[in-house]
Amino acid sequence: MRVKIFRWRAIGPLLVLLVIAGVLWWLFADTIARRETQKVGTQMLGAKVEIQDLHLDLRNGDVTIRGLTIASPHEAFKNLLQADEIVADLDVVPLTEKKIIIDRIVANGLRFGTPRQTDGRVAAKSGEGIAGRVLAETRQWASQFQIPVLQLATGKISIDSLDPRRLSTIPAAEALGAKADSSRRAWQAAFDTLHLGPALDSASATLERLKRARATDLATLNEARQAINRLKRARDRVTTLERNVTQGTANLKAGIAGLDSARRRDYAFARSLLQLPSLDAPEVGSALFAPGAIKPFERVLYWTQLARRYMPPGLLPRATTGPSRARRAGEDVRFPKERALPRFLLRSAELSIFLKGTQRYAGQLTGLTSDPALYGRPMLAHATGPQLTAGAMLNHLRGVPVDTAGATLGGIRLPAFQVPGLPLRLDPGAATTQLGFNLDGDTIHARFAIRSSNVRWARDSGFANTTIGDLIWRTVSGISNLDVEARLSGELHRPQLAVRSNLDQAIASRLREVLGEEVAAAERQMRERVDALINDKVGPVRARVNEVQTQAQAQVAQQRARLDELQRELEQRLRDMTRLRLP
Amino acid sequence: VFALIKLIQSLFGALHSEGTPGQLAAGIALGSIMGLTPLVNPHNAVVFALLVLLNVSFAGGMLGWALFVPIGFLLDPLFDWIGHGLLLAPSLRGMWTSLYNTPIVPLTNFNNTVVLGSLVFALLAFVPLFLAARWAVARYRATVGERVRQSRWYRALTATKLYNVYRMFRP
Repeated sequence: MRVKIFRWRAIGPLLVLLVIAGVLWWLFADTIARRETQKVGTQMLGAKVEIQDLHLDLRNGDVTIRGLTIASPHEAFKNLLQADEIVADLDVVPLTEKKIIIDRIVANGLRFGTPRQTDGRVAAKSGEGIAGRVLAETRQWASQFQIPVLQLATGKISIDSLDPRRLSTIPAAEALGAKADSSRRAWQAAFDTLHLGPALDSASATLERLKRARATDLATLNEARQAINRLKRARDRVTTLERNVTQGTANLKAGIAGLDSARRRDYAFARSLLQLPSLDAPEVGSALFAPGAIKPFERVLYWTQLARRYMPPGLLPRATTGPSRARRAGEDVRFPKERALPRFLLRSAELSIFLKGTQRYAGQLTGLTSDPALYGRPMLAHATGPQLTAGAMLNHLRGVPVDTAGATLGGIRLPAFQVPGLPLRLDPGAATTQLGFNLDGDTIHARFAIRSSNVRWARDSGFANTTIGDLIWRTVSGISNLDVEARLSGELHRPQLAVRSNLDQAIASRLREVLGEEVAAAERQMRERVDALINDKVGPVRARVNEVQTQAQAQVAQQRARLDELQRELEQRLRDMTRLRLP
Repeated sequence: VFALIKLIQSLFGALHSEGTPGQLAAGIALGSIMGLTPLVNPHNAVVFALLVLLNVSFAGGMLGWALFVPIGFLLDPLFDWIGHGLLLAPSLRGMWTSLYNTPIVPLTNFNNTVVLGSLVFALLAFVPLFLAARWAVARYRATVGERVRQSRWYRALTATKLYNVYRMFRP
């Protein structure tokens, strides 16, 4: 029997299935697109992306999004931005290549930093995906800064216990003592190998014979000359030994000086155990404002690094995390091709932004793309308005990406914040903030500044009953201007942070007035404690080294003097005997 | 429970259908592609269409799908590795680049490591699986098949409504 290959009667049900699929798409395309956009956006940005309504009009290439909310990846109950309406003019044909090309976006009612009811952070909690990795990296980067801490809450200075095993002078003294003993043994051995005794005895005997000899006794005269030569050779050996001793004693003296350096290091180490308030103005500035100043740098760096991951330079295949699904996500590998369209391109966007409540600002963005090398131009963004100038450029065209951003915003009300180390709250009021950021490859230069002329101070109750508290309060409460500037520079993996403010000098000088004597006393006490621990070890070693030095030098000098004296007597006697006597 | 009953019904329904062992094996092999690869991908629509249009056992296809879904999950790391190796092989870069920039082709998600790896694996396993399934079905029918058909629990199983739905698509 011939087996049929095709089951023709199944074409009907298959067509019905296709029609059902088509109807379902027609009914649910907007919902599917909205959910997919939310899912992909959340995955990419590391924060919840929520859309109230999305409408696809593929016939005209329009996508309309209403009620877009993007949560902040850094703050739990804050949004990064909200948009009332976004209308995108989409190129439909590239969709067949799974490429999203948006000719123009008009975004209305953009608001930044609005509050939200639920925690919208995703990457911060899961740590997964590109956003999670970048967030972890930037957090680690921000944590590397050593920020001095002001201990002013009580104004007391405490001293932690000092562990003698952590002092460097004691092992250094023990090493120097061992070195002195070793030098003493070496010099004694070298002195014994000089064999000066036979030379001296022989020379003494020759001198005695010479005293009794006549001028014609040539054999004795020759013997005397030979004895002088032997003495000279012996003296050469003594000179060599003397040189060694001089060098060795110099080393021992350096060891003694090393003990002094070690003692200074131990003083510094012990001082670090003291919980002293910082008295230097730059340290005060860092302690007060560095924690707050690092945050904007960290956030800008997060977005820059994220942009570098999603907008890499070059045309090599790139792998990114695949779509989340029940099965393993795997990786999606993109294959950019010269003169082809990029995977994603937003040619231009016109933004209408609300800041400071209802004040409207205008912004523009061009060239946001997944493949900058294909688009051939850097991404540019700028916004202007009353008291606002902002601009950014992401240039990923060449192998070394360069990202630059700058913004000046005036009249914005910054939130009040707790001043680190001080039970004080500072309300900067309406301030002008400036941010400059440049990341050239791995070299960073950034600046963040806040200026305000109507700051307000509030004190916590815990601050009330302390001398220092009152003093600091009196110092700062009269200051109505605030001028803070933080600068960051250097290699990304080891940047230098400098923070200064107009409060630094005022607080530092007041602190010095009140705490100066107390700090000096604490330091004195700490030095005494260190001295008590190390003097028992250092004193005997120092004496032993001096003794070894003195002994070796005296021994050498004594033998040299004996040799010199014998030689001189022999030469004198020879001269007397061989002098020509005229009648 | 419903899924399990459905699987058992599919298994015995297929094994005792009027189709030849070859038809049943072809259905299982086609179904294995759907089971081994991530389901929501265009190539599975093609496989499904083939299952419906070709004169193979549709129940066998469902059976193959159900059997190979857990195997697919288990082998995902292997598929990821295969896909990674293929997609990032320098010698194949030109081909992938052309395909990636060709209309429609990127919609198949071929550039996903798990999709490509699992599809290649499933296609390579297709013929061996077909041959093994055909042999196994023939052996089953020749040995214990008739006794199972006469058993009471088999009759009870086939009496359910689901079996009637299945009969619409039997070969």
